[in-house]
Amino acid sequence: MWSKVYRRERRSTRFPFSIKYGDELRGYLFVLPCLLMLVIVLGFPVVTAVANSFTPLWSETKNFTLENYSGLLSDELFWNALSVTFIFVGGTVFFHLLLGMVLALTLNWMIKGRSWFQVIAILPWTVPDVVSGLVWRFMYNPTSGIINHILMSVGWTDRYIEWLANPSLALPSVIIADVWRGYPFVMIILLAGLQAIPEDYYEAAKVNGANVFQRFYYITIPCLARIIYIALALDTIWQMRRFGLIYNMSMGGPGHVTEILSLYIYKHYFKYFNFEYASALAVVMAIIMLAISYPYIRMIARRET
Amino acid sequence: MRRVKYLPTIVVSIIVVVFTFYNFTPFGWMVSTSFKSEKEAYRIPPTVFPQKPTTESYEQIIIWTNFPRYFFNSTVVSLGASLLSTIVGALAGYGFSRFIFRGRTFLIGAILASQMLPGVLLVGPYFKLLTRVALYNTYIGLILAFTTITLPFSTWMMKGFIDTVPRELDMAGLVDGCSYPKVFLNLVFPIITPGMVATIIFAFILAWGDLLWVLVLTSGEAMTTVTLGLSRLVTQFRIIWPQLMAGSVIGALPPVTLYLILQKNLVRGLTAGAVKE
Repeated sequence: MWSKVYRRERRSTRFPFSIKYGDELRGYLFVLPCLLMLVIVLGFPVVTAVANSFTPLWSETKNFTLENYSGLLSDELFWNALSVTFIFVGGTVFFHLLLGMVLALTLNWMIKGRSWFQVIAILPWTVPDVVSGLVWRFMYNPTSGIINHILMSVGWTDRYIEWLANPSLALPSVIIADVWRGYPFVMIILLAGLQAIPEDYYEAAKVNGANVFQRFYYITIPCLARIIYIALALDTIWQMRRFGLIYNMSMGGPGHVTEILSLYIYKHYFKYFNFEYASALAVVMAIIMLAISYPYIRMIARRET
Repeated sequence: MRRVKYLPTIVVSIIVVVFTFYNFTPFGWMVSTSFKSEKEAYRIPPTVFPQKPTTESYEQIIIWTNFPRYFFNSTVVSLGASLLSTIVGALAGYGFSRFIFRGRTFLIGAILASQMLPGVLLVGPYFKLLTRVALYNTYIGLILAFTTITLPFSTWMMKGFIDTVPRELDMAGLVDGCSYPKVFLNLVFPIITPGMVATIIFAFILAWGDLLWVLVLTSGEAMTTVTLGLSRLVTQFRIIWPQLMAGSVIGALPPVTLYLILQKNLVRGLTAGAVKE
């Protein structure tokens, strides 16, 4: 409703000599380079990938076939990769949100030293995920890594835990490493949202005798709902695309327990050279990601007009 | 009553200490290991701080490997991609922010949606395309590839920044007889410079950290970037951790430094699109 009013107002205050259609053309001209580039670097590969996914594997003829997609349904490793991806994304996003929220609230509360602490809090996010993967891999090193060393000096364990080689520990270990790397991004967005909540709301609640938890539940959460959703949507997408971290920590191993979808597709492309099958896998992944982000895109694009 | 008054301060302090420790431990471990000798790095139990700090790993990785070359490549490619996508993104951001045209909502949606495409979907066809136009294993090919990651974000961030510039400014310019390109260059551009810097840094961090595209679109030492070089070192038969950590420190340095210098801008830029109402 507000957007409509805004638009009408914008039209009416437009300058007398700017004609509507001329303006429309200028708008296109400004946007054109961006669109051209996106068509070349994104549009073309997407169309090719979709076309490839419908052609038979290893074949010269380009007949239409669905065999890649039907093959995918009975591919156990695909289902494995899918479930690993959901656990990885679910786990990391959950902890990103949890830690991000705790830290955003803390930063929002802090009076002294806030700017300093904010700098420290964001630092891990700026490191390339390849680097954080490597550092954590060495921290997890059973004999010369710091993590076992700390656990042993505290007395929580007396044997060398094989964090990344143990099939049941590998995925949680990778998730923990990624939580370190990724939560600051969620924190930044949540903090900005917290700072946008008017102080009066809290004052009013305080006057009426609401305690900290009530204020959090009845003011912070509802005011922050949209921002939380945005942070969740963006983070989910980022995490589904994550590649370098796992590539360097475990290469999907041991076995296939940490083989997320992007890594599995990469292997089909450039290790086994099953281009057509890999395309079909990638198309499925793209559909999943677009489906997850559709409400987000709709919400933002609508708000912008 | 008194205790309750101090409770928040205590809780905040505890959280601050815990998180500072948590955030710094991996950094500390990385830096500490990079200054250890190979023998000390494998000592059981490990030493927390290097007992005989040595810079030999740095010397080895700088002199005996092609790491300086990787560093140079990463710099060229990331700078190219971030500058290109920020300039193009600024133009598009201006267009989206100032003009109403048919298909605007759809195009905004399309740009947002293009962020949601997985890299592995694009990378295969893009590889074939580049080999066909002889751009495989070139800077230009890589820069264009990185724009697939950075351009949608740059456009979005720049639009957010330009939205904060009042339209009245444009109108004043138009009244005084400026054309739209002039309004953009002489009036809007100076105001959004901090925003552009933030966008460039964000794009730079994204491009610098990428592995997938470099892995697929380059071959040979001459085009290897830092992330790819590190990934290659770790898949070797014998992993020399101090060297690898020295490489990681060097590899993490540019994005971390850029962030430290310009962190206020960056934080504002990241949230410009998300929070504004």
